Amino acid sequence: MSKNGSIVFVVDDDPAMRMSLESLLQSVGHTVAAFETARDFRMAPRPDLPSCLVLDVRLPGQSGLEFQREIGRTASPPPIVFITGHGDVPMSVAAMKAGAVEFLTKPFRDQDLIDGVHRAIELDRRRRAKAAMLAELRERVSTMTPREREILPLVAAGRMNKQIAQALQLSEVTVKVHRAQVMQKLKANSVADLVRIADRLAAIEPEAKMDGTSI
Amino acid sequence: MSANELMPGGLSPLASPPARSQLRLAVCLSALLIGALLVAAPYARQPTVNTEALLPAYASAVFVVELLTSALLMALFSVHRSRPILLLAVGYLFSGVMAVPWALTFPGVFDEMMPGDVPQTTASIAAIRRLGFPLFVIGYAVLSDRKFPPGSARRIILLSVAGVLTIVCLVTWVIVSNDDALPKFMIDARNVSGLWRFVPATAIGLYSIGLILLGLRRRSMLDIWLMVVLFTLMIEIMLISYISGAIRLSVGWWAGRFYGLASASLVLLVLLSEATRVHARLALSVLAERRARQNRLTAMEALSASIAHEVNQPLASMVTNASAGLRWLAHDQPRIDEAKAALGRIVLEGHRASKVVTGIRTMFLKGAQEREPLNLNDLIETVLAQCETEARLGRITVSTALANDLPHVVGNPLQLQQVITNLVDNAIDAMRGITDSRRLHFATQCHEFGEVLVVIADNGAGLSAIDKDRIFDPFYTTKPDGMGMGLMFCRTAVEAHGGRLWASDNEPHGAVFQFTLPASLAKPNDAELVR
Repeated sequence: MSKNGSIVFVVDDDPAMRMSLESLLQSVGHTVAAFETARDFRMAPRPDLPSCLVLDVRLPGQSGLEFQREIGRTASPPPIVFITGHGDVPMSVAAMKAGAVEFLTKPFRDQDLIDGVHRAIELDRRRRAKAAMLAELRERVSTMTPREREILPLVAAGRMNKQIAQALQLSEVTVKVHRAQVMQKLKANSVADLVRIADRLAAIEPEAKMDGTSI
Repeated sequence: MSANELMPGGLSPLASPPARSQLRLAVCLSALLIGALLVAAPYARQPTVNTEALLPAYASAVFVVELLTSALLMALFSVHRSRPILLLAVGYLFSGVMAVPWALTFPGVFDEMMPGDVPQTTASIAAIRRLGFPLFVIGYAVLSDRKFPPGSARRIILLSVAGVLTIVCLVTWVIVSNDDALPKFMIDARNVSGLWRFVPATAIGLYSIGLILLGLRRRSMLDIWLMVVLFTLMIEIMLISYISGAIRLSVGWWAGRFYGLASASLVLLVLLSEATRVHARLALSVLAERRARQNRLTAMEALSASIAHEVNQPLASMVTNASAGLRWLAHDQPRIDEAKAALGRIVLEGHRASKVVTGIRTMFLKGAQEREPLNLNDLIETVLAQCETEARLGRITVSTALANDLPHVVGNPLQLQQVITNLVDNAIDAMRGITDSRRLHFATQCHEFGEVLVVIADNGAGLSAIDKDRIFDPFYTTKPDGMGMGLMFCRTAVEAHGGRLWASDNEPHGAVFQFTLPASLAKPNDAELVR
């Protein structure tokens, strides 16, 4: 099982527990970086890789739950697998509500931890892919001219060139040229493709849609 | 737990030794009564007119007051089952009930109701009543405080009440029906004969005996108040029989009567106020007990949660290490080195768990009385050997200055070793965050007064930010997952060995923990033989 291209962070103040977690995760091929405190973890440089955080609830200074809330506010926080000394239902509910992937009570089954870590990394991988795709889309959109941005929602809405020309008071030929430009810039192979892209754009940038419907 | 064990004074303050304030109050009251006597004395012989009408009111007041007093004493008896108190209750009941025929036969009060030669009847009843009561008090003072068996109180009270009523009825019947045979106490309805003189004299004699007996005994507050009662009764009889010239219904006679009423009310008031106080104390102690139980419960919950955590932590780490080891071995090319490292960690964690359990057991070990002469230097060496790995991992330099000629101490090796281990663990923890060189220093020396002193000094975070008085309290901890039991155990154990444990600041930072233990008188060589 190759886990290349991902990293597991472990934060546990108990040195013995930390070492055992490190060993267990390494034995199934993960790259592991372990920290004693939440502060150490925050200070450390993080590689830009799909990752997951195995976090002890009971930490010196700041509790794991507080820390979860804190990093939840940062950009692309790693999904969290909680481990705790004593399973406490309200605590686990709070952790899961705040987006934790798994909440394990010590001592836990190794497979549960490994599965949890795996799911967390997959989640992060998907999130990252989506984020990367959206970033690329934004990049493409940024190369479009204002006129092209006006035309995009109208095309996506299924309007004919003639209708678009009429709406924007352009000649049909000009609309055709712009439309080809839009298709090319957004790397859309067909109108159906373009509709999908426009939908995604509308999801992240509502104002892009607003432009189109205001006419 | 019964209420008696709850309060040092017992359930009833009446049965407890007299308080100084009560004594003072009794003396003041007696002085006040004497003052009133002096004021009344000049007018004592003046006769009053038509005051017979007041007599039933007076008699019923005496009846009610003495009956209530008796009832309260009976209640006290049902709790304590003490013979003297029962006797006193019976005395009050007798005196109270006897007031009824006395008032009914009094000349000029219910004349038409009662047959026979009235004057002698009333005087005879008065004599029996007057002489009877101090006899009961004397009985109370003389009777040993033996208790009746439990559960019998109710029956005894019923029997006593029935007995008293029967006797009073019989006596009254005998007196009323045999008026001619009665001693001639009265010349007419208002004036006494020479024979009457013997009655107050005997009464005063009996009161004096009672006063002396109670004064000698003075077991309880009740005794003090009974002395005041007898004293008042003495004044009453003097007023009635001598100062007023034994003239019935004269000012002095009435004054005496009111003294009698006051004396009867006295014990009642004392009993009532004490009953109220007992009730208040009981309510308070019940509250305190409930609060204490609540605290104990909370403490136990906290303790068990801490213990669970302390044991669970190494267990979790062992399970995880074992899983990791298995997985390393299951690789296509088994990683023996990793598996070995995991097994090594399991061994360490097993020891850690066992240390926690040992610590808890030592802490709660009641039978830590098994003591033997031992050398504290050896004990320190043992502990140092145990925590060597930890110290090396923590990059801690350990230095020792152990006295060669250290006398032995007599103690429980397990407990004392745990004390040193706890202090060392604390020192190592405290030095975690220190960036400069970490030093742990041990010293033993002969201390003054034949004591042995052990010093454990670190240059860790120190105690400056911590309340030094509280560190020895149970559940006080500065560690994120500490139990707050370690130092409490240390102090308890050291003090149980007759020593002291205290903490101070180290220079420039860190903490110094020192404890003393009394040196054994046996020579080290003898101790070697014992071991």
